[in-house]
Amino acid sequence: MSTVESRDVRGSRDAAPVIGTGMDRVDGARKTAGAAGYPSDVQLPGQTHAALVQSTVAAGRIRTLETAAAEASPGVLTVMTHRNAPRLPDGPMTALGASPPAPLRDDRILHHGQHIALVVAETPEQAAAAARLVRVTYDTSDPVLGLDDPRAERMDNPWGMDADRGDPAEAVRTAEAKVSGTWTTPDNTNNPLGLFATVAVWERDALTVHDSTQWPTMGRVTLAKVFDVPESAVRVLAPYVGGAFGAGLRVWPHVILAALAARVLRRPVKLVLTRAQMFTSVGHRPSTVQHLTVASTGTGELVALDHRCTSGVAMEDDDFEPCAATSALAYACPNVITRDVQLRLNIPDPTSMRAPAVGQGNFALESALDELAHSLSTDPLELRLRNYAAEHPGNGLPWSSNALRECYEAGAERFGWSRRDPEPRSMRDGDELVGYGMAGVSYPWYAQPCKARATVNSDGSAFVRSAATDIGTGTYTVMTQVSADTLGIPPGRVRFDLGDSDMPQSPQAGGSGLTGALATAVRDACRGVLGRILDLVRDDSESPLRGCTIGDVTVGGGRMHLRGRPAEGESYADILARHGQVEVTADGASTPADAAELGMAPAGAFGAKFVEVRVDADLGVIRVPRVVSAIDGGQILNEKTARSQIIGGTVGGIGQALFEETVTDAGTGRIANATFGDYLVPVNADVTQMDVLFVGDPDRATPLGTKGVGEIGLVGIAAAVANAVHHATGTRVRSLPVTLDQLL
Amino acid sequence: MLPFEYARVTGVDEAVNLLAADPSASYLAGGTTQLDLMKDGVLGPERLVDITRLPLRGVTRDADGLHIGALTTMEELAADPVVAGELPVVREALLLGASAQLRNMATIGGNLLQRARCRYFRDPTVPDCNKREPGSGCAAVRNTARMHAILGVSERCIALHASDLAVALVALDAVVRLHGTSGSRSVPLTQFYREAGTSPDVENVLLHGELITGVTIPPLPAEAATGYLKVRDRASYEFALASAAVVLVMRDDVIAQARVGLGGIGSKPWRSLEAEQVLTGAAASGEIFREAAAAAVQGAWTVPGTAFKVELAQRTLVRALRNVSGGAR
Repeated sequence: MSTVESRDVRGSRDAAPVIGTGMDRVDGARKTAGAAGYPSDVQLPGQTHAALVQSTVAAGRIRTLETAAAEASPGVLTVMTHRNAPRLPDGPMTALGASPPAPLRDDRILHHGQHIALVVAETPEQAAAAARLVRVTYDTSDPVLGLDDPRAERMDNPWGMDADRGDPAEAVRTAEAKVSGTWTTPDNTNNPLGLFATVAVWERDALTVHDSTQWPTMGRVTLAKVFDVPESAVRVLAPYVGGAFGAGLRVWPHVILAALAARVLRRPVKLVLTRAQMFTSVGHRPSTVQHLTVASTGTGELVALDHRCTSGVAMEDDDFEPCAATSALAYACPNVITRDVQLRLNIPDPTSMRAPAVGQGNFALESALDELAHSLSTDPLELRLRNYAAEHPGNGLPWSSNALRECYEAGAERFGWSRRDPEPRSMRDGDELVGYGMAGVSYPWYAQPCKARATVNSDGSAFVRSAATDIGTGTYTVMTQVSADTLGIPPGRVRFDLGDSDMPQSPQAGGSGLTGALATAVRDACRGVLGRILDLVRDDSESPLRGCTIGDVTVGGGRMHLRGRPAEGESYADILARHGQVEVTADGASTPADAAELGMAPAGAFGAKFVEVRVDADLGVIRVPRVVSAIDGGQILNEKTARSQIIGGTVGGIGQALFEETVTDAGTGRIANATFGDYLVPVNADVTQMDVLFVGDPDRATPLGTKGVGEIGLVGIAAAVANAVHHATGTRVRSLPVTLDQLL
Repeated sequence: MLPFEYARVTGVDEAVNLLAADPSASYLAGGTTQLDLMKDGVLGPERLVDITRLPLRGVTRDADGLHIGALTTMEELAADPVVAGELPVVREALLLGASAQLRNMATIGGNLLQRARCRYFRDPTVPDCNKREPGSGCAAVRNTARMHAILGVSERCIALHASDLAVALVALDAVVRLHGTSGSRSVPLTQFYREAGTSPDVENVLLHGELITGVTIPPLPAEAATGYLKVRDRASYEFALASAAVVLVMRDDVIAQARVGLGGIGSKPWRSLEAEQVLTGAAASGEIFREAAAAAVQGAWTVPGTAFKVELAQRTLVRALRNVSGGAR
């Protein structure tokens, strides 16, 4: 079942396609050899080093701020505070909401860990040591920290996505079965392995920033506005990023501080966050409290869904977490109400963390459905199949692709779901209670415009680029494959480059939207080059291709020939040489699919997750020996990197299910577990057998048939684990993470 | 900057004299605790005396037992053939601790002296920590404290002694050898540590300058069975939520001798004479194990975050007793 259905979506080509194959990462050797330069590796002549001073209270005002000792400390060049820093404007609106507030605006403290000073010195050690010498006192006020704090400012329907269909109240009242409950998810911290780093340098009035970002184009626009320079004077570089999981989707205050210090000092400034600062400076998945009711007929057909979610947001920032809203689009259900509410808290800025909103909302929804299935003595898998949404539940349009049923079937088969005894606590192996749990996932579609540029050189090699990023996902590799196939040039003769805002604009690596947008733009650019090469020979009496259009030719092996007549063609190198061209370049673009135009609802990925847990009957210790993920990701561009995406997401899902919880101290707002020893993520021993199956057909809404697979790997694991824990033990846990003390 | 002097010594007396003469000096061995705490700003010694060149590394055996040099690393001790063959409780406790990288650096002496993992102790921006600033209070007590201790603690301090190895060693009646300016002495490990009590900042009986030179594990009866059970959320690289080190000598079904160490719950590596008293002379059964476990947690002092450990510790001990006794239920 792991084969990828293929359709000729790639145009006419001679050689065997490299799209779809599990081609090794083109950047793999560079990374394993330590030759890939991450932002923290950047060293510039004359570079200085910065260290942050952060607030140790969550709310109030700075009363006194003594910097003299720090300024006098060896090697220190400057100490920037709100008292001496120039006032900067906030960054612009982005596709993901407003920019975070500018740093060092005033003496107000809005959260524990807020940056209140930046110390710059000749060495990182001098900067860190001097940062400790900055003495701060505060006039503190009582912080608003909890979702249960009545003082918190409340924002209803902050994203305008609340859904209302039918009459859910009446449907619940008359339903034959219903489950109602409250589910909670804690704060989680993105915690990419790579510490976020920024190196900023000004040359005359031009700013170059090396940054751990998922979105160089947005970085350029933001920094230009903040520093009031033309966008053409700003360059953001991120050729390699050591993971991000959403933390790199914004231009954070520390990035602006580094650029500001570099301008003040007229020297390059490097700032590498500490692990503890990673918990307060680059976002986190905000905690939620979710009230959910699902109601059905006696045979499990959903009649009503009522999902209300409250999450936290920082005092003066935005975050996009419509957890409840995503439930409205998961199942066929005539009566639906979703309500999302945000509360303003004295917490560090939340931001997208792999599968924002869906990651939390799916836990509540898929847990509730498991409870409903249990109450009806219906197989949880059967319940999902009965409520399969054959059309898009929001607009009633047919899906551009939807193989969710195939996901359930293939996943169940691979997992051995039929061996499940439905009775909780009925499967046992020695001291271990064995549980099987599952969950469905309907991941939202997301797309943004994208551009790319392709060049064929005089030697017949190709250079293709876009300002995208590869945060470990495989973008370098799959775009090399798309370029190679479209141009008919072997992958080894194609260089795909990214991570530079001077390249054509790209959307963020986020929202599971980059591959679809970028692959389409890359293909368009490559086809543009083919067209220009044909333009060269249009009236060329020496060329067998004269007068041809792109539809008349086949590409392969670095050459073009007439369709069906391989002898009648010539190489790109020959054409360019004869026409005195050193290179031929074309730009390409993609725009998001339009549902109305298509007459279809563009679909995101679908998935079914099956999990086996083992719970020690006495000790409560929970282990996950086995996960099967069946994914409809449309056309898979690279079997290997796509599989790795799902595996990585699964690891994140296990973390969300069993381990991850950012703990905030009541009263002070301090994060109490900001280390990798205390904030638990899965280790290798926690992730054993992870099967991935790809099913389904190429999607009809994108030219290459792709759907994003960056986030769906995570979603559903938490619910499937909690459902499996119930099956194993008979205990329902509605609060993440599921830990052994809840099972004693 | 945090300026400190670094001195490397080659003789034990040289080390002890250097340190004893300087109240602000500390020893440096594997550094896996010392350097972390310096980087975190918790410790600020003005001089580090590097003892890694001292001839205190290696394991020997004689009629008095197994002698472990204080600078033997955790991995070296785990790989020792006597430990591997006859002391599973030590080997298991070692290999379930930390990570391979840390075990390759961390020494046995340092392991016994590891400081609390409490995030309130380890963060100088938290003002109230009696272990760091005597008399300042305890922030952990009123906050989330899942990793904290329930025995030998009070509202003054609930920090856990997180060592796995030391739990096994207290159960084995290990003795630490100390060397100071006035000579050498031996202290049973059970008397080496102090409960948090009224002075959580004083964790053991070491005098300033005194150096742990080694640990001796007395011989066990040939028929003794041992085992270590560690319970935690994730499968590796986490401190124990509860653990138990058990030494049993069985005569048929009767427990002739029992020694019980408990981890994950004490302000010091916990030896439970109470549990041993219940077990000794009794026929092995699930019932007697549960009775022993209940005796072990008498006097537990909990906060909401640690309350579950009272039950978990008992179940952990019951399971460990069952495992080591050969399966009595």
